[in-house]
Amino acid sequence: MNPKLDSAKLGIAVRISRIDWDHMSHDEGRRLREFGLMEGIEVTPLHRGSLFSRDPLALAIGRMQVIIRARQAAMIEVAPTAP
Amino acid sequence: MTAAIPTIALVGNPNAGKSSLFNALTGARQKIANYPGVTVERKAGHASFADGRPLSLVDLPGSYSLTPASPDEAVTRDVVLGQQAGERRPDALVVVVDAANLDNHLCFALELIALGLPTVVALNMLDLATRDGLTLDPAILSRELGVPVVPTVAVRKRGLTDLLAAVDGAILSHQTQATAQPAPPPSDVALHQRAKAIARAATLSETPVRRWTAQVDAVVLHPALGFLILLALMFVMFQGVYAWSEAPIGWIEGGIAALQEAVTAALPDGFLRGLIIEGVLGGVGSVIVFLPQILILFLFILLLEATGYMTRAAFLMDGIMAKVGLSGRGFIPLLSSFACAVPGIMATRAIPDAKDRLTTILIAPLMTCSARLPVYTLIIGAFIPNSNVGGSPVGLQGLVLFGLYLSGIVGALVVALVLRRTVAKGNAAGFMMEMPRYQWPRLRDVGIALWQRAWIFLRRAGTIIFVTTIALWLLLSYPKVPTDSTESQVDYSVAGRIASGLEVVVAPIGFNHDIALALIPAMAAREVAVSALATANAIEAGDDEEAMAQSLSERLQGRWSIATALAFLAWFVFAPQCISTIAITRRETNGWKWPLFMVGYLFALAYAAAGITYWTAVAFGLG
Ligand SMILES: Nc1nc2c(ncn2[C@@H]2O[C@H](COP(=O)(O)OP(=O)(O)OP(=O)(O)O)[C@@H](O)[C@H]2O)c(=O)[nH]1
Ligand SMILES: [Mg+2]
Repeated sequence: MNPKLDSAKLGIAVRISRIDWDHMSHDEGRRLREFGLMEGIEVTPLHRGSLFSRDPLALAIGRMQVIIRARQAAMIEVAPTAP
Repeated sequence: MTAAIPTIALVGNPNAGKSSLFNALTGARQKIANYPGVTVERKAGHASFADGRPLSLVDLPGSYSLTPASPDEAVTRDVVLGQQAGERRPDALVVVVDAANLDNHLCFALELIALGLPTVVALNMLDLATRDGLTLDPAILSRELGVPVVPTVAVRKRGLTDLLAAVDGAILSHQTQATAQPAPPPSDVALHQRAKAIARAATLSETPVRRWTAQVDAVVLHPALGFLILLALMFVMFQGVYAWSEAPIGWIEGGIAALQEAVTAALPDGFLRGLIIEGVLGGVGSVIVFLPQILILFLFILLLEATGYMTRAAFLMDGIMAKVGLSGRGFIPLLSSFACAVPGIMATRAIPDAKDRLTTILIAPLMTCSARLPVYTLIIGAFIPNSNVGGSPVGLQGLVLFGLYLSGIVGALVVALVLRRTVAKGNAAGFMMEMPRYQWPRLRDVGIALWQRAWIFLRRAGTIIFVTTIALWLLLSYPKVPTDSTESQVDYSVAGRIASGLEVVVAPIGFNHDIALALIPAMAAREVAVSALATANAIEAGDDEEAMAQSLSERLQGRWSIATALAFLAWFVFAPQCISTIAITRRETNGWKWPLFMVGYLFALAYAAAGITYWTAVAFGLG
């Protein structure tokens, strides 16, 4: 099984290899795509959770930073970026 | 068709600077802040082209596409597509994009351009792009997009004339050309690829620069440290509300006292003098005294909003909010509700999930709004010693105030937990939000916003608080008590007798006649509780020199037990004593069901909280 974004190491860029669109609501999926999260894109997980939980996750996509929940990150498969 | 004044809509991604541009062009003072989802409704204003012809400008909520995810984004779609009831479709669009985030912002821009309306792109925040080491070519961008592109810096009013000229030109050339048939919308992926390719073509150079946003976030969003910083910020805020307001409050009090003396000297004893001294200066004046505290509170909130810290706070709070079935998104309207629940409730329009939104609306009145400050301050000032906690620099009064705020927050979270399992049941709310870069607050913007708040507060004091207080003064002054009666004027008056009726209901929770008297007029606005106490006190004191010299808090100390005072504070943490909040809830939930529910549950909680506080305090010998 491929590693998922919710457990990816912070501060290291990864490439999105697959997103399980079928297991999220239509609106959720669309908002992810509107943020630019889709197959083939490079993202860098930056911050994860606070004192009380592992949620949420802050990511850098290009010049933008977005916050998503771990539940969504768990549906995003990632692979190391090509060297 | 040309005779009509053209309507031009500002559209674009959230936080791109649409409202800043709107304010710069129209001279309006729409709310601007550094987080996505500030504007939640359509706002129109007037501007003019360089030659003086008028135009009508429309500011819209930010959106990522024409498919809305939340109620505010639906407004944008409806206006742009001409589906808004009673509104003409705009004659032209100004698409506002963030120059430092073209990859993303061009997607919505492409979708809008494809609609075929006359369109101009405002390449905004060019200063920030430069700060981040980007050099862009507007000409290439314009060629690739097929519409004029005008560089702007909205907050410095740069590029405005060029922008309007380009809009004028676009409308003209549109009329002479055959309208292009709108193209079918491309897929999300294709749109993004196209946006990226255009952004790359228009970027002349890109140097990696120190991203201090990243360095600050490493500290501010640190799992443990970040949370401590958030708590520390709130704590300093409430200490500041006390520590820095003492001097200005003294000046205002001095001014009011001087006015009272002048009026006493100038007017003969009678109706008019009583009205001015007891009702206007004594009553309304007792509320105006709190202006400095309210402004300090607003200053803090404005700074948090302008720097971009709000979304960081939302990030940190999401863990806790998730546990009660809400999301970090909801924390932003809740924090705004510290100022006032009315804009806070409006701001919930940016929350996508309907149940999440409803719950946030229902708990917003539990956030301690600035109207409670006068009540809290009066009672804390009278009954909590002005000392420091165990020799530390932490003031006891500020600590109690912090505690009251915390009770409101904890109460809100518990209520949310219950609501999400009962009346507002639904799927776990999601949380997806863009995190803006940090910015230095602009002194001018903060100054204007503070001035606006001061004005709103004074207008409130001059209207609703004034009218209610004067009405109460009349009801307290008549009928006049016979000179041979042992009853006091207040007890003998119409208002006093009504209060005696209410006292029966609230006596079990430790409330006395003073409080019963203050509660009913305070339904109009919470501050009226203070002016009502002050007015009743002034009437009671009458011409008794000694009583007149006592301050309101000194009088309260003599009349109330500590247990009663604490119960009164607990009551105000929960009680929904604000007509505006009830009205806005009705509007935002489209009916009377939810506002009535809100009022009911909040009064029940207030009664229980005051009762428990009173009985506990009495058990500890404070009765
Ligand atoms: N440096 C810089 N900051 C800008 C510029 N334009 C806007 N801002 C800042 O960007 C932030 C967002 O501005 P707004 O005008 O509220 O953005 P908006 O597009 O109306 O946002 P929403 O109403 O949330 O959609 C504020 O902090 C502004 O001060 C600009 O040209 N340069
Ligand atoms: Mg706006």
